[in-house]
Amino acid sequence: MSPRHTYLVASAFLAPAFLAVVLLRLWPAALSVERSLVAPNATSYSLENYTYIFSDPVFQNSMLVTLKFLLIVNPLQVAVALGLALLVNTKMPGIGVWRSLIFLPIAIPPSVSATIWGVAYRPDGPLNAMLTSIGLEPMRFLTSPDQALFAIIMIVSWVGVGYWMTFLLAGLQDIPKSLYEAVEIDGANAFQRFRYVTLPQLRRPLTFVLVANTVANFLVFAPVQILTKGGPQGSTDLIMFQIYDRAFTMGDTPSAYAATVVLVSIVLVVVILQFRMMERSEP
Amino acid sequence: MSARLVRSASIVTVALLFFLPLWWVVASALRPENDIFRFLSEISIWTIVPNELTLQNLIDLWQSDFALAIFNSIFVSAMTVAIGLLVCSSAAFALATIEFPGRNLVFTVMVISFLIPFDAIALPLFNILRGYNLQNTYIGLILPGIGNGLAVFLLRQFFLNIPKEIREAALVDGLSHFAIFWRIYLPLSGHALMSAGLILFIFQWQAYLWPLLIAPAPDYKVAAVAIAQFATTWEVRYGLIFAAAMFISGIPMVIMIVFQRYIAASVASTGGKE
Repeated sequence: MSPRHTYLVASAFLAPAFLAVVLLRLWPAALSVERSLVAPNATSYSLENYTYIFSDPVFQNSMLVTLKFLLIVNPLQVAVALGLALLVNTKMPGIGVWRSLIFLPIAIPPSVSATIWGVAYRPDGPLNAMLTSIGLEPMRFLTSPDQALFAIIMIVSWVGVGYWMTFLLAGLQDIPKSLYEAVEIDGANAFQRFRYVTLPQLRRPLTFVLVANTVANFLVFAPVQILTKGGPQGSTDLIMFQIYDRAFTMGDTPSAYAATVVLVSIVLVVVILQFRMMERSEP
Repeated sequence: MSARLVRSASIVTVALLFFLPLWWVVASALRPENDIFRFLSEISIWTIVPNELTLQNLIDLWQSDFALAIFNSIFVSAMTVAIGLLVCSSAAFALATIEFPGRNLVFTVMVISFLIPFDAIALPLFNILRGYNLQNTYIGLILPGIGNGLAVFLLRQFFLNIPKEIREAALVDGLSHFAIFWRIYLPLSGHALMSAGLILFIFQWQAYLWPLLIAPAPDYKVAAVAIAQFATTWEVRYGLIFAAAMFISGIPMVIMIVFQRYIAASVASTGGKE
């Protein structure tokens, strides 16, 4: 087959997916970069939109809230997922069913989990009923600036940790038994087995879960838009909602484009850094 | 008490705690609407077990606009899976089997581009597609779901493992690349196609931000958007919310349980072992 023919055949197979990449990912990304450089009513390129959002207290608050959210939710979800994977990595009757029950919430679309937890968080809802029945004070949940972000963390973690658990469980089951037997001969206790065999062997699935989990948490949107609209007092104004709010509530599209570029850049940097870490951990 | 028993008891407790909110959704959907908040002041077995079962909430749900929203979700997701599998598997076939200069570059560009999170570029894409009058159309809803980097990656890995002798023999016999793809590779790839299809389905079924932007009109509203708006209408019907939640979550759950072993396969290959 001539090289020319090979190219034609390959292009025909690749064209639809390539068009999807260019038209639905690269073009919008390029468009946000271009539009973000045009200030409202300006005719030339400038960084005005960027200086504007970075000096805007509302956007600064959103960056801080997003940072706080990520610093809490990422370690929390990875730790809980690892704990769950270690817990269910055993043989017992019906273990498949118990694992599935932990995993099932991932099937629930984010708008549905937000809606039903919104009902659970009502002041007269079932969560406060449970709290008062064990003698605790009822809580305000979504209407308290101190609690609302944690209420959202609770929702996304209930959905997510079982999913992340499955990756770590697969990793645990791939660790050769002989490694454990070897350190047991040396008299290692449970903690040492975990520290010197389990953790190093889990490095790749752990890195993968951390990357994928971080990206997913950058994009949390539905619970904020449905339940809190970024409030109370901006305490849940995560970056995705901030962009949406700028574009569609305030009608300030140029600064929403700048915020989009900031978000995409941060996500790409995080992904690439963590992939580098994963490559470096190759044995 | 042995350590083993303690561990088993903890597993059961944790699993039931994770399941409790789902149970509460189903129990609330199947009890009279007035009972949903009735048994909360004093926690008892009736808080989570309906003392009276009814299908009234489900019937009311099907007589509301929600039936159309569920239909829209099913239609959009099914089209996404059908078209998406064709698009992703043909790209994966070229990347796995046809040797041409720059193949690795194309593969890298494609995977990296798909790393741009879709929701993050929803705003510029919305403005582009609105310019082509694709607001409130099925095409606007389906388009973003059909190209999926993970699905391409997964299928390519699977195609790479099909012995190339099969392909070479077929070429000698005069089969075209398209015939090799359609009559040899696809029939051999049932499992990989199922897990890729599952990825495409879940992406589309769970989408919220995109359908909220591109298809707000009642005729094109999908279920994930419709349920969120139930909860913010003036007179909230909690019975309908729980019945809707049961449907929208139940469909992907049944599919996931049926295809569990294929998920395990895709989990293993995305877990970065290859």
